[in-house]
Amino acid sequence: MKSSGSTAWKGPVKFRMPTAENLVPIRLDIQFEGQRYKDAFTWNPSDPDNEVVVFAKRTVKDLKLPPAFVTQIAQSIQSQLSDFRSYEGQDMYTGEKIIPIKLDLRINHTLIRDQFLWDLNNFESDPEEFARTLCKDLGVEDPEVGPAVAFAIREQLYEIAVQSVTSARESRLSKKGRRGSDHGSASKASGLSMDLVKLFSFKSSVVRKRKDLDVYEPAVDMLTNEEVDALEAREERHAR
Amino acid sequence: MEVTDPSWKEAEVELYTIPAQSSWFLWHDIHEIERREFEEFFSESSITRTPKVYKEYRDFIINKYREDTSRRLTFTSIRKYLVGDVNLLQKVFLFLENWGLINFGSKSDHVLLVENQGKHKAKIEQGSPPGIRVTATPNSMRPITAPPPVEERAEPGVKLPPLTSYSDVFSDLKKPSDGLICGHCGERCDSAFYQHNKSIVNLCEKCFKNGDYGENNSADDFRLNSGNSAAAVWTEEEILLLLESVLKHGDDWELIAQSVSSKSRLDCISKLIELPFGEFLMGSASGRLDSSPSHPVEQMKTDGQETREEKEHHVDEDEPLAKRKRVALISDGDTSLMKQVAAMACKAGPSVTTAAAKAAIAALCDEASCPKEILETGGYTNLAVDRADGDKDTDMEEEHADKEDLPVALRIRASVATALGAAAANAKILADQEEREMEHVAARIIDQQKLESKLKFLDHLELIMDAEEKVMEGVKETILQERISVLQCAFGGGITKRWDHTYVK
Repeated sequence: MKSSGSTAWKGPVKFRMPTAENLVPIRLDIQFEGQRYKDAFTWNPSDPDNEVVVFAKRTVKDLKLPPAFVTQIAQSIQSQLSDFRSYEGQDMYTGEKIIPIKLDLRINHTLIRDQFLWDLNNFESDPEEFARTLCKDLGVEDPEVGPAVAFAIREQLYEIAVQSVTSARESRLSKKGRRGSDHGSASKASGLSMDLVKLFSFKSSVVRKRKDLDVYEPAVDMLTNEEVDALEAREERHAR
Repeated sequence: MEVTDPSWKEAEVELYTIPAQSSWFLWHDIHEIERREFEEFFSESSITRTPKVYKEYRDFIINKYREDTSRRLTFTSIRKYLVGDVNLLQKVFLFLENWGLINFGSKSDHVLLVENQGKHKAKIEQGSPPGIRVTATPNSMRPITAPPPVEERAEPGVKLPPLTSYSDVFSDLKKPSDGLICGHCGERCDSAFYQHNKSIVNLCEKCFKNGDYGENNSADDFRLNSGNSAAAVWTEEEILLLLESVLKHGDDWELIAQSVSSKSRLDCISKLIELPFGEFLMGSASGRLDSSPSHPVEQMKTDGQETREEKEHHVDEDEPLAKRKRVALISDGDTSLMKQVAAMACKAGPSVTTAAAKAAIAALCDEASCPKEILETGGYTNLAVDRADGDKDTDMEEEHADKEDLPVALRIRASVATALGAAAANAKILADQEEREMEHVAARIIDQQKLESKLKFLDHLELIMDAEEKVMEGVKETILQERISVLQCAFGGGITKRWDHTYVK
């Protein structure tokens, strides 16, 4: 409504995950003494820090890993948490940023490919809820798919949130002109936001064009055992 | 409560059912309830959330649902059509669903959720979930000096011992459905077991002999409880032996028990009763040495008497009886010929037997040049059958004593031919029946398939037409909107709207 016109620009918000629950995605990949432990889960950064060690001990005990893993796991989690916290004091640009989120995951025998739009400004968004609905509507039976999808979404959101913090910092340092253009450059810098004005203008319809429908449709495939083995072997080779 | 849809179709009015509390809904307007729920659309604070956008979302979702009200519209199937934040879209979707404006006819979310919760059984997984992977790195340069348990896992992609699986925790509560478990050694008590007087503890014979009574129990506390368990378990071979020996020995349970070595007399009898056709054999076994099914034969006797009175009288109740008899064992090779003949004759009806007997007699007469009149007696056929029963049919014998002058051999041949002919005739009839039935069924199936494919084709056509219609409606709507906006501009005179400032980049 003001002079800047079309895009609403809220004041900078303190960094946090742009979801209803401020959970940090944590990824672990520890190799030690000939064993490799890979895992991915979400962590609540407001939990007291001693929880990390408790969790590490529990994990090692449940999976019967050698005890040296306890410190490794705890360290990894701690470092990722402190990374997250380092951004926390800073501002990030919010404002209209609708980004496409892409999924291309393999979870056990299920292959999921999907693309959809996510509003970074929507602090009521819930990746877990989205993942639940996705699995329920598509009839996915493997209970590990939902959390994996939610985790992937969170990871991407986290990355973009971090990017917006850094870009906000840069633009503030450079102190460019009016705020409107600032935001424009910030959103441009991320390279992901859509041309919202064109999409949501009065003339165009919010119904997607037919040619784009396939892109934004979820695709779920089930793999056979051989395919799974082949893919896993390829992933291992890439990892090394 | 039904709400007429004041939609584009002027020709026909479509009726959709929505719950009564949603009757505020109007196509051409946005209600206060919606404004309150979706403030973000109406606060004019963003370009992606405007009333127009909201209305488009809403209308599209409802129309999509109404394309086929029988199927439950899922959010995932519809989100690909709409541009915008998926969380917001889901909010709109859930709003419409909760108010019953969509998915009202089909099962509600709540019901499905309840159903799914019932169906969900905890999947018991062996090993750690693959998402958490603990693998050995096979090409590590360092020698693996890990302790022996790790050594086993040297291969990649190895399985870990299970994390407290169901079987670990609950294995002792599981009792095998068959047989009893010894309370002490945990094995099955096949033979005699000892039952504790006061508690439910059982001990197998071995443990009892060893003196392992468990805590605070002494030998006196246990009661020998044999007999049932031994007899309860019948293996396939034992059942086979039993049946064979019953057929061979008939009533002689001692002999039967001998041949089925591990079971006592009573066991054999009780098992035979339990078997589905056991009663037939039992009935046959009791009362004659050479067994042959007695029930149908007795029935035949009475039938025979009737037939003697009226030759062509066909007794219907023999049919189901004969059918039942078909299930029973056909006697094998070492039974007497007469027995076999009797069996086959029983399977055929009495009239069939009569006819077959007549034909057989005629043929035999041609052969043996025997005076026909001798053989063509009224009750000859029945005599032939009854004769097969053996010597105990005293009442029969009295009546037919005078007929004994006919040579036995001839009678035998006649009977055999009779029986064979009767059986063959009956078999043919049944086969014809079956064939006819099969043809009927096949024809019906083919008809149905044709109908089904036609229906599918028509459905498909309908879907295509509906899609086309939707597109046309959408186009029409946009045109209308544009028209309205143009008109508004025209009426507004010189007032410019803010959207007129094109956002030049």
